[in-house]
Amino acid sequence: MFETKDTEPIIELEKVGIRYGRGPEVLSNIDLSLQRGSFHFLTGKSGAGKTSLLSMMYLWQKPSRGRLSIFGNNVNFANRNSLSLFRRRIGVVFQDFRLLEHVSAFDNVALPLRVSGMSEKEIRKRVNELLKWVEIDRSTSAITSTLSGGEKQRVAIARAVINRPDILLADEPTGNVDNDIATKLMKLFIELNKLGTTVVIATHNENLINEFKYPCICLKNHNLKIVSAGERKNDMEI
Amino acid sequence: MIWKFKSSRHQELPLSKDSSNLFLKIMISISVFLFAVTLAGVLAINSMLVNWNASILGSLTVQIVPVSNADRQKAQEEILKQEQRAVALLEAMPEAKKVTPLNDGQLQSLLRPWLGDDVDINELPMPRLIDVKLKSGAEINFKQLAEKLATVAPQASLDNHKLWLNKLINFAAGLKVLALAVLLLVIGVTSGAIFYTTQTSLGLHKDVIEILHIMGAKDTYIAQQYAGRTAWLGLIGGIIGVLIAIPIIFLIAHLAGQIEGGIIDEARLSIGSWVAIVSLPLFSSLVAMQTAYYTVKHTLERMM
Repeated sequence: MFETKDTEPIIELEKVGIRYGRGPEVLSNIDLSLQRGSFHFLTGKSGAGKTSLLSMMYLWQKPSRGRLSIFGNNVNFANRNSLSLFRRRIGVVFQDFRLLEHVSAFDNVALPLRVSGMSEKEIRKRVNELLKWVEIDRSTSAITSTLSGGEKQRVAIARAVINRPDILLADEPTGNVDNDIATKLMKLFIELNKLGTTVVIATHNENLINEFKYPCICLKNHNLKIVSAGERKNDMEI
Repeated sequence: MIWKFKSSRHQELPLSKDSSNLFLKIMISISVFLFAVTLAGVLAINSMLVNWNASILGSLTVQIVPVSNADRQKAQEEILKQEQRAVALLEAMPEAKKVTPLNDGQLQSLLRPWLGDDVDINELPMPRLIDVKLKSGAEINFKQLAEKLATVAPQASLDNHKLWLNKLINFAAGLKVLALAVLLLVIGVTSGAIFYTTQTSLGLHKDVIEILHIMGAKDTYIAQQYAGRTAWLGLIGGIIGVLIAIPIIFLIAHLAGQIEGGIIDEARLSIGSWVAIVSLPLFSSLVAMQTAYYTVKHTLERMM
């Protein structure tokens, strides 16, 4: 159930449009096909529709028109329970972190595992290991609201990857950390990608895009274009 | 299902800090108090109805009215003879379990509430009364029995208590329906309060719920957290309500016991009734839990 064949796109958008209420379309006629294990940057000016596109990909927003398929399933016809099961296979890092501020860092990272019904023993093992890796191991029991911006960002990333997701979507994941940590986090994403995770990172960080030679999904004038690492200098707008 | 609180140790939703918790606790306490007192009333009326019904089915009274005779001595002898013949006839009935002619002392004690201690009943034209207890399930043809009695005791009349007890039974049954309606109303009002406070809370915690959904939580995961919290409030509120209700029930029972005539005496609460009343916190907890659970599921499906 919900499995895709290796040759099938893991995310597919066909003539997708999205609008909020009766406003104009934020995205129009988007066609996009991401293969399993691909790695893309998502770029575009503020208001270009990056967040809307990501929110469709993590199944929070349904397209106003067109077809969105994920793991080979047409989302337009999926029921609430199926959507929940799909979401468990998608890791998301938000620009504003969207952590549960009133619980500990540990509980935030453990959330996707608890939601999936994993045993507490296994959760403890996995979460402690990952928190150590993102260097939050000293403040695991600290209430999240007391953590610094950088710490929160690392907790948010740990929460997104703890489930070893099939798809990882990150909105400015390196915005609040120094270059060393940014590089380390990028290496984590690359490691996950090597294990088969499809990664999409929305960013304005030119250094990051130039350092890691991955294709870009460029949003401009409500439309989308994929630019490979070799040709992107002329076409892209960050 | 609803009973599986896998995540009860980890409440991602900060429900314990909801300001509506105190309101719900007080609301449930009041509801359970009203429920307990009304339920006690229903159970008491029920036991009264059972006893009265048993009286109708299980007994009859034969009355032998005094003979009109200027010679009181003769009249008294005649009425006693008729009583003896009637007792013999009744004892011979296969349906009769026990036949007891009431003696002067018993007649006096029956009349004491109305006439006091100072009246000598021998001075009054008193009827003789025979109390007949019937075997359980016995069916009597009252018309036939009355005819037979008339042959041995022309002054005898048969009273199977049906007329006046039926009126009482109808009145009590009406009261019972009314009390049951009050119980339903209490459940309805409490469920309504839980419904609206839960909906308000869902609005307050919209951001957390959104994160839970994005992490893959099903509606049931969120509903279970609400159900767990509300069940706890229902239990605490229920215990408080029952603790207040018990002395009130005892007080009402005490006051009712002071009414003479024996009618209210029949309205005793059995051990089973007390168990039902003491178990009310579990019931309120269950109702609260179910209401919160289905409110969350219903609301989330419409919200997102």
